[in-house]
Amino acid sequence: MPTPRHHLNRQRRRQALADQPAAAKAHAPVGLLPEPDSRPGSGPDSRTGPRPGRRPAAKPVREATEVPAEEATDDRPAAPKAPKARRRGLAPLVVLCVLTLLLGGFAGWAHSRAGELRDDPARGNTALTDLARTSEIKGQTTAAVAALFSYDHADTGPFERAGRTLLTGKAVEQHRTLFAGVLAQAARQKTVITTTVTDSAVERIDGDRARVLVYADQSSVSTAGTRRTGGKQQSKAQDQGVYAGAMFALDVVRRDGRWLVENIDTFGR
Amino acid sequence: MTRQVRASAGNRPALAVALVLTLAAGGFAAWEGRSWYAAAHDDSAAYAAQRDRALAAGEQAVQNLNTLDHRRVDQGLDLWETSTTGELHKQLVDGRQEFTSQVKAAKTVTTARVLSGAVTELDDRAGRARLLVALRVTVTAPDSKSTEKDSRMLGELTRTDGQWKLSGLGQAPVGGTAAG
Repeated sequence: MPTPRHHLNRQRRRQALADQPAAAKAHAPVGLLPEPDSRPGSGPDSRTGPRPGRRPAAKPVREATEVPAEEATDDRPAAPKAPKARRRGLAPLVVLCVLTLLLGGFAGWAHSRAGELRDDPARGNTALTDLARTSEIKGQTTAAVAALFSYDHADTGPFERAGRTLLTGKAVEQHRTLFAGVLAQAARQKTVITTTVTDSAVERIDGDRARVLVYADQSSVSTAGTRRTGGKQQSKAQDQGVYAGAMFALDVVRRDGRWLVENIDTFGR
Repeated sequence: MTRQVRASAGNRPALAVALVLTLAAGGFAAWEGRSWYAAAHDDSAAYAAQRDRALAAGEQAVQNLNTLDHRRVDQGLDLWETSTTGELHKQLVDGRQEFTSQVKAAKTVTTARVLSGAVTELDDRAGRARLLVALRVTVTAPDSKSTEKDSRMLGELTRTDGQWKLSGLGQAPVGGTAAG
């Protein structure tokens, strides 16, 4: 580490300079402030002159161990000021410590700022920002809704399969409750329900969870029971079916690459 | 006599340690600073923020346009007008007179609650967005009978002067035909 050593030497030199006038005055009362280097005699004087009793041996020992080469070329004595030099020797250490604290402080602050930004709920929600995932969820949800909410009394296979494969958690029970009334009479009324998603939007995507708002059209046709309502009305219903617009929100969760419905929110209806 | 020697010799390992610590702190600071910069200049974050602003403004506007008290028609319609822009705004301004008299005659109080809402499309640069808002509208008639109706709203937003406002609003059609 050359830097601190030079630093020390420079400080010693400055110290010697500062001591110079006192010694110089003794020899040259003119009061001329001389350049120490230009006066060969001033060196030795200042070394012994101003503070003779001050650990004279300390200097040589240190120079010998530290910078023997410089000692040879440096004719200035740099009178050793033990406490000051030691205090100044601490200066780089103090500077480094302060620097460490400042940098560490900045790092901590930047870390917390970055964390704050990342924890922003807007950023946690990747709906629309992750277009691929958004359309994947929309696509799978649309297909799932069509399968889960369509029912054909003549072929209940797809409906039952959808219920087994596309639902998870409490959605299983919710789906069963929603269809309980229909299923009770389905066979007798020969019900056919067709559900089509007309609009959907992903409200929120948080990793493997998402919430989708769905608008769907439901047409239901009862192909039996002319007795039920009878007459022209029934035949009209048969032709056009009964349309109803539905809106609900689905919580979906990703399992093995597929999005399963975990919760059906019908907004209290 | 050897005190100074010890002091300066003892300084050197300390300095070395301090230097290492400073460098480590410097590296740490550079890393965290970069991460902070990246977080602050994340495009998708700005887009997400825009999406949430559009949604919040859109939900509020849709709710405003489904809220009206016959006792304070003017305030209500003023709010309608400040929530909208473009073609929708023009329609509201044009039909204001007629609408005011209708509402005053019917003496109804209409309130709305947003059940859920989501943005379907967002063009950040053009300042246009589309959203779905599931709405529950309560209409209270003069005989204080109230009816609740759910509405499937489709809204179109346009950003004007940095503010998202409704430029189009309608209900999702049922069965392929538009329903009131």
